[in-house]
Amino acid sequence: MNRSVLYWRAASFAVAAGFIGLWQFIADQRLVSPVFLPGPDRAWASLVRGFASGDLLDKLLGTLEHMAYGWFVASIAGIALGAMIGSSRTMRSYVAPSLEFLRPLPVSAVIPVAIAMFGLTQTMALFVIAFGAIWPMLLATIHGFAAVEPRLYEVARSLHMSRLAVIFKIALPSASPDILAGMRLSVTVALILSVVCEILAGLDGLGHWVLLSARSFRSADLFAGVMLLGVIGYLTALAMSLVEKRLLKWRSSGH
Amino acid sequence: MIAAVNQGANSLRPGRAQIVFSGVTLNLGGKAILEGISLDVKPGEFLCIIGASGCGKTTALRLAAGLYQPTSGTVAFDGQAMLAPRRDIAIVFQDYGKALLPWRTAAGNVSLALEASGMAASQRATRIDELLKKVGLPNHAGKYPAEMSGGMQQRLQIARCLAQEPKALLMDEPFGALDAMTRQGLQDEVLSLVHASDATVVFVTHDLEEAIYLGDRVIGLLPHPGRIGIELQIDLPRPRDQLTTRENPEFLRLRRELFDFIKASEA
Ligand SMILES: Nc1ncnc2c1ncn2[C@@H]1O[C@H](COP(=O)(O)OP(=O)(O)OP(=O)(O)O)[C@@H](O)[C@H]1O
Ligand SMILES: [Mg+2]
Repeated sequence: MNRSVLYWRAASFAVAAGFIGLWQFIADQRLVSPVFLPGPDRAWASLVRGFASGDLLDKLLGTLEHMAYGWFVASIAGIALGAMIGSSRTMRSYVAPSLEFLRPLPVSAVIPVAIAMFGLTQTMALFVIAFGAIWPMLLATIHGFAAVEPRLYEVARSLHMSRLAVIFKIALPSASPDILAGMRLSVTVALILSVVCEILAGLDGLGHWVLLSARSFRSADLFAGVMLLGVIGYLTALAMSLVEKRLLKWRSSGH
Repeated sequence: MIAAVNQGANSLRPGRAQIVFSGVTLNLGGKAILEGISLDVKPGEFLCIIGASGCGKTTALRLAAGLYQPTSGTVAFDGQAMLAPRRDIAIVFQDYGKALLPWRTAAGNVSLALEASGMAASQRATRIDELLKKVGLPNHAGKYPAEMSGGMQQRLQIARCLAQEPKALLMDEPFGALDAMTRQGLQDEVLSLVHASDATVVFVTHDLEEAIYLGDRVIGLLPHPGRIGIELQIDLPRPRDQLTTRENPEFLRLRRELFDFIKASEA
């Protein structure tokens, strides 16, 4: 068991190292023009330079901020709405058709609407990010609340638990695996939409940095930005799954 | 395990009945599930309900718990109509796996009932220890239900019910899913717990011997719609004993009578 985990970890490192090696090889052999493809060495140097000057850090913080606000708003709204809809059968039957209509709507279709309403502003970005990120959370929360074991509600009734206690002691913890899974999915959506909004609205962030670098053929800077985005995506997903593991300890225990 | 030896159930106190069904009929989905049930359960009595599968035992228990309202007739507890579940009536569900909070430890599950009763956090820990000890789980406070065997989970559910300090304990085939050895052990533990707590018990089972072994009285339901078809007073001496009680000629005679009843009711 532990051995195979180790094995897989080693294998994934080997693949990553191989990938970087291949990248370096292609760049060194100039199979692709260096104007478009810098080697990992140059991208790394650009990354270090960007951080040394403080530029890249500002952009990084900008993107993290957009992502965090959007995700936070989406989480609060998604969990609250999902709890309301999921815990009532009547609500579910009223709202479900509208959700089915809205859900497959690509977020990109909403962006022009948001721009028309809010202009090329931070508010627009917040709206778009939150709108995109709310879906995984909303649907997961609805499912989580709808799937609470009815027996537990009967236990709550015979204990005369208050409505608030039922929500916080029974429904929320019972739905927490679904909610956390939804939050993990939507953190990635929030990152993607942050970059899109930064590119569209010229907001301070890695999206903007990447766009400017591309326009001025600074491929090393471009790749530094892209690498950083990859790292953010990886680390936030990792952090979420650690939180999940910690909070859902009760699930993995036992047989 | 519980230290006390197999105690008897409480001697019946004279006076008013505690749980009273008067002409109770219940329809669900347009079908009569129970019809014309009239029944008195005295305080401290141990009443067992038997009957073929689907005859309405669980439904009757849910009426007593206030989880269902009768279509006609009334259910009363201590002279008051049962319009909703009461905190002093605890119910032990058959499916313990569904009735426990999987995200709370054993201690946390017992705590749920104490929190609901408004007990201060500072007093809970001692009370939880007491209750877990009472049901034979003193060393499992930190375990999650998923880490416990079926018998342990059912003990835990009983501990949570005892935390309600119930006047009446309603049990729906609590040991139905357990193996024979665990089952007999738990029967004796329930008898001694009930003796110590003075609670009235309504105990649903489809195991005829279990009903006779535990009860002061056994009623049998006839199916479609569910109604009372037999009522037997059990005057076997207490404390009951797994060997001698079950060999008692009176025990065998009662078993035969119930057996014939079930057979006739299924025919
Ligand atoms: N919510 C419901 N709606 C319609 N019919 C129901 C409902 N609940 C139970 N029934 C029916 O009522 C009858 C009695 O059910 P109940 O669960 O009380 O039986 P039981 O005696 O406890 O059976 P078992 O021994 O299998 O547990 C069954 O025929 C069942 O199908
Ligand atoms: Mg039943």
